[in-house]
Amino acid sequence: MREGLAGKYVGAKVRRVEDRRLLTGRGRYIDDLNLPDMAHAAFLRSPYPHAHIRRVDIDSARRMAGVFLVLTGADMARLTNPFLGMMALDGLYDPVFYALATDRVRVVGDPVAIVVAESRRVAEDACELIDVEYEPIAAIANMAQAMDPMRPPIWPRARSNVLWEDSQTYGDVEVAFAGADRVIRERFAQHRQSNQPMETRGSVAEIDPVSGELIFHSATQSAHSLKWSLAFLLERTSVWRSIRELATNREKPRKFVVGARAFIKSHPDLRTATKSSQPAMLKQLRREPKRIVHLSEALLGLLAKDPSRRPRVLAQDIGGAFGAKGLVPREDVALATAALQLGRSVKWIEDRNEHLMVGGQAREETLDIDVAVTSDGTILGLKVHMTMDVGAYPGFPFNGAFFAQMVKVMMPGPYRIGALRFDTTITASNKGTYVPYRGPWAAETWVRERMIDVVARELGIGRADIRLANMIGADELPAAMVTGPPLDVRMSARRTLEEALRVADFDSWDAIRDQARSEGRIVGMGLATFIEAAPGPPKFFDYISPGFSALAGVEPAHAVLEVDGSLSVITQQVPHGQGHETTLAQVAADELGVAVEAVRVRYGDSSITPFSLFGTGGSRSAAMAGGVVTVAAQELRQRVVDIASDLMEASTEDIVIEDGHIHVAGTPAIGVSFAEVAAEAVRRRPGSPSDGAIRVTSEWDGGAGGWAQATHVCWVEIDLDTGLVTIPRYVVVEDCGELINPAIVDGQIRGGVAQGIGAVLYERAAYDGDANFQAGTFMDFLIPTAMEIPDVEIHHLQTPSDIFANYRGVGEGGMIAAPAALTNAIEDALAHLGARITEQHLPPARILELAGVIEAEAPTEVGPPDYSAAAAVPAPRPSLIRERMPTLTPAQAQAVRRTATSVRSGARRFADRYAGRP
Amino acid sequence: MKIPRFTYHRPATEEEALAMLTEFGEDAKVLAGGQSLIPLMALRLSRPAHLIDIGGLRELAAIRERSGTVSVGAAVRHVEVERSALVARAAPLAAAAMPHIGHGAIRNRGTACGSLAHADPAAELPAVALAAGASFVVRRASGERTVPASEFFLGYLTCDMGPDELLVEWRLPTWPVTAGWSVQEVSRRHGDFALLGMAAMIDTDPVGRISTAALSLFGAASTPIRVDAAEKLLTGEPPSAALFDEAAEIVKGQLDPPGDLHGTAAYRKHLGAVLTRRCLSEAAGRLGAAA
Ligand SMILES: Cc1cc2nc3c(=O)[nH]c(=O)nc-3n(C[C@H](O)[C@H](O)[C@H](O)COP(=O)(O)OP(=O)(O)OC[C@H]3O[C@@H](n4cnc5c(N)ncnc54)[C@H](O)[C@@H]3O)c2cc1C
Repeated sequence: MREGLAGKYVGAKVRRVEDRRLLTGRGRYIDDLNLPDMAHAAFLRSPYPHAHIRRVDIDSARRMAGVFLVLTGADMARLTNPFLGMMALDGLYDPVFYALATDRVRVVGDPVAIVVAESRRVAEDACELIDVEYEPIAAIANMAQAMDPMRPPIWPRARSNVLWEDSQTYGDVEVAFAGADRVIRERFAQHRQSNQPMETRGSVAEIDPVSGELIFHSATQSAHSLKWSLAFLLERTSVWRSIRELATNREKPRKFVVGARAFIKSHPDLRTATKSSQPAMLKQLRREPKRIVHLSEALLGLLAKDPSRRPRVLAQDIGGAFGAKGLVPREDVALATAALQLGRSVKWIEDRNEHLMVGGQAREETLDIDVAVTSDGTILGLKVHMTMDVGAYPGFPFNGAFFAQMVKVMMPGPYRIGALRFDTTITASNKGTYVPYRGPWAAETWVRERMIDVVARELGIGRADIRLANMIGADELPAAMVTGPPLDVRMSARRTLEEALRVADFDSWDAIRDQARSEGRIVGMGLATFIEAAPGPPKFFDYISPGFSALAGVEPAHAVLEVDGSLSVITQQVPHGQGHETTLAQVAADELGVAVEAVRVRYGDSSITPFSLFGTGGSRSAAMAGGVVTVAAQELRQRVVDIASDLMEASTEDIVIEDGHIHVAGTPAIGVSFAEVAAEAVRRRPGSPSDGAIRVTSEWDGGAGGWAQATHVCWVEIDLDTGLVTIPRYVVVEDCGELINPAIVDGQIRGGVAQGIGAVLYERAAYDGDANFQAGTFMDFLIPTAMEIPDVEIHHLQTPSDIFANYRGVGEGGMIAAPAALTNAIEDALAHLGARITEQHLPPARILELAGVIEAEAPTEVGPPDYSAAAAVPAPRPSLIRERMPTLTPAQAQAVRRTATSVRSGARRFADRYAGRP
Repeated sequence: MKIPRFTYHRPATEEEALAMLTEFGEDAKVLAGGQSLIPLMALRLSRPAHLIDIGGLRELAAIRERSGTVSVGAAVRHVEVERSALVARAAPLAAAAMPHIGHGAIRNRGTACGSLAHADPAAELPAVALAAGASFVVRRASGERTVPASEFFLGYLTCDMGPDELLVEWRLPTWPVTAGWSVQEVSRRHGDFALLGMAAMIDTDPVGRISTAALSLFGAASTPIRVDAAEKLLTGEPPSAALFDEAAEIVKGQLDPPGDLHGTAAYRKHLGAVLTRRCLSEAAGRLGAAA
């Protein structure tokens, strides 16, 4: 390991500083916040999956004692800008919709009205008095129904419930398949899952009684993203008013524009990316011309808005998110609007029933896969067709299509796969919003690792042998995936596999299993290996969505010597269980030579944290925040040493800092304190004391970045009487580079494995065949408890390297690999009974069906039609968009072009805010 | 979700409680441990205007043995039944059911009589009552009646009690010392309500033939049910694995359970056979164990 980096704290199991607060019940979650004179909100939600709203009568609710305000979709259309998809993917239909349903409801739980009252109870009572006349429409409950042209489109302008079709080819697929001895085909179905953190969504929209300013307290994964999204969506202003405002006060947008220019200049690839996505944007506009009005109103409104009207977002303790809280809840927009209307603070805490219905669902994907192999088991190429059911309302700002791109790019994993064709079909349904969930792209690992077992079985090759034969080894690095992302020399997936095979004593397994079978016991073992872009190679996100690296790539941080001599690190990360208050303090403490307790990590407040849209997600914080805090702390140390050397009249090279004491090497008795340095710094630079005595702002682009990787081995025992599966042993062999805090790393892995096991054996966000939600309580949506989850045995490898900040993330990996290892183990256990595992959800009844113990029942979830059959008889399926584009009058076309130009420049200005250096 | 407004009453005596039940009738609900009622109210599925908390009724807080019965009062918590030496000795079937009821935290608050009055068909105790030939003492201001378990459970969450009545006592006949017992169930997670469960009792005559058999299933229908045909088959035969297999097939054939998210009807039918085999062999192993 690099000297100087592996200091006193980095690498140690430092006790989490947040635990004293959290474990004694003194955390500060949203519901702990109670402001003077605060009102409470509740939402009236649709009981129908799909219906027209014919009439909403709020009179009796509004008249009820204790009710302050009732708003409906019509109010939202008047007072707010709609949610507008920002993903310019060619042909993707990305709808325009409001925080509250206007003319139709599209999912059970769709918010129809918000009621604000003196208490939550009164607000709920009033909801019951609202009279809504619904006219039900045939619902879309699954992929097959979405592809049925007789079913009504959920988004009439899409004219179909197929929202996007795409095909990408990497390498020479024709050659690969022509050279194959065999092509093996299988369909795998992942069921609808849900993140379900302990704390549901919820916010307090605080209105400052003096300034009227909106302070938005929220359990969000990204304070700045929520802030700017709210600024964009709230307080709709007409174009003319904005223009008048801008004309009378030309100074106002200047900072904005200057910043935007600078940002775009410094990111030339962003410019080409925007250029290349312009045709797609134009197509979207042509399809939905009103988008232009909405975009102009929102963007000009944002420009004209006084900075004091931009909300300040504050996040404190957050009880988990797993990806779902990176999106902007529609409810937050309704809540903030209500608070602004009332001029009074309003709280909304989502209850579990709501969170299960509409708090975010994930992973409903069916993948058809063809593998071209030679008879010795060499994989030549893949053809994959993924169908993704994204539910009704797209997530904002990330919809399902973004994550479909990730599945595609990650498909080859650590294997030598030279050719890939990846087709994507995105369908809408009357179900909850597709959100990212801990390793949103994990379908690639599940399907690939499952399929490798299938190929091994078909060819009669060992499961370890076929992996070893196809996995990229250290001697072949650096290399690149056929989809683009480079694999650097630290990509050690194969080492984790080799070590796992040794730890698991894989070679004796077949004999052990067969012996158990002869004793009447059903046991199995499964393997799975994955790599995770945490943070990934440089510019990784550009492979997913061109230009995205520019928006996501750079991590900022402040390191501050406060005027009283204390030390702070200020991060844009918004920890929600990851322990950043501990790990980032560890990193800074080592660089600064102080005790870990001496560094305070501050986060979550958009008015003090450095700007980034990313927040916490994507298993990036160890690498990105760990890296930037190292850089910032080193620079701060240098500045401290400079002043200390003056004070002590010594040369800077002779200064050491040990245990918080600054002195000349060899003479520890004579020294200065951080407080003295701070006082001197203030003397030299009289400025705002709120900025501290010395304030360093650094940015870090992730450097060489890199991959995290692991191999999981899962053992199962199955009771063929009951179908219950137990997991007697679970092994993880992983390499995430240098560990900042091994206890936290292990905790992340264990939690991920637990959720992966939960997905396979327990959890399902189920709907019936008419899209009625079936899993609205924790008695229906089963989350495993400590009783169901095994001890997870974790082995760490560290590929030696002397690169700077050799940290990689482990937040998602546990969950990425666990479903694969577990389902592979289950098939191993049941193989002799002819069971083939092609679905991810395996509750006990399904296990017995697959084992042939009981009769199978028809599932309610129906996948897409068989694409291969469709391909054999090519049905005329012209691109929906080109075929059915509404024709524009010349005047309309002119308007589209004109506004498109202003939108483009508006977007540039908007981007500046995102760069928004203070 | 928040509970709609209601009035809370905490009577100090049974008499007072009965008077309140007479006064409020349909508008009132008895509050025992609250482990079933409060969640229903929080989901706004139940909306009583008055809650009559019987937690303070000292006279109903005891487990007693008298003249061939073990009686459990309405204010007795699950945990007290679970830890009672008297129940373990004189009502081992009830004792065996207790660890299956939810989790420790639920058993600390929930009451045995509350579970019986609630009449959830997936709950353990109604099936235990049915297998053990228990009875219920039901009181209203104007009088008292005793209802046998076989007539008490009428349907899903419905038992033979009027809105003005209070279940004051659960009476179990003292266990015949020679009999064996077993309570088994299958649930998806530790502590969940059973997908299917069985409370079973068998006794033998001096020559070792089964003299009494009771197979009582929970989670199988809208009430707990006994399987007469299987009980008849067992009676008069010496216990054996082959006999139990035959009984298991009968149980499976007789069941018409509901299917849901957690298990299909076919799965539950199959579990009927599995649990019959498991319960009977465990019960057979315990013949005479209570002596
Ligand atoms: C997470 C969870 C898991 C559970 N798992 C199980 C399980 O596996 N098995 C199981 O059996 N139970 C389970 N329960 C339910 C638990 O056992 C309840 O305690 C029990 O069903 C009801 O008892 P209670 O005292 O809480 O009654 P309450 O909730 O207070 O009342 C329930 C109903 O009975 C009525 N009632 C109560 N007492 C009387 C009386 N003396 N006279 C007339 N009416 C009365 C009430 O009015 C109400 O309608 C679970 C509960 C939870 C929350």
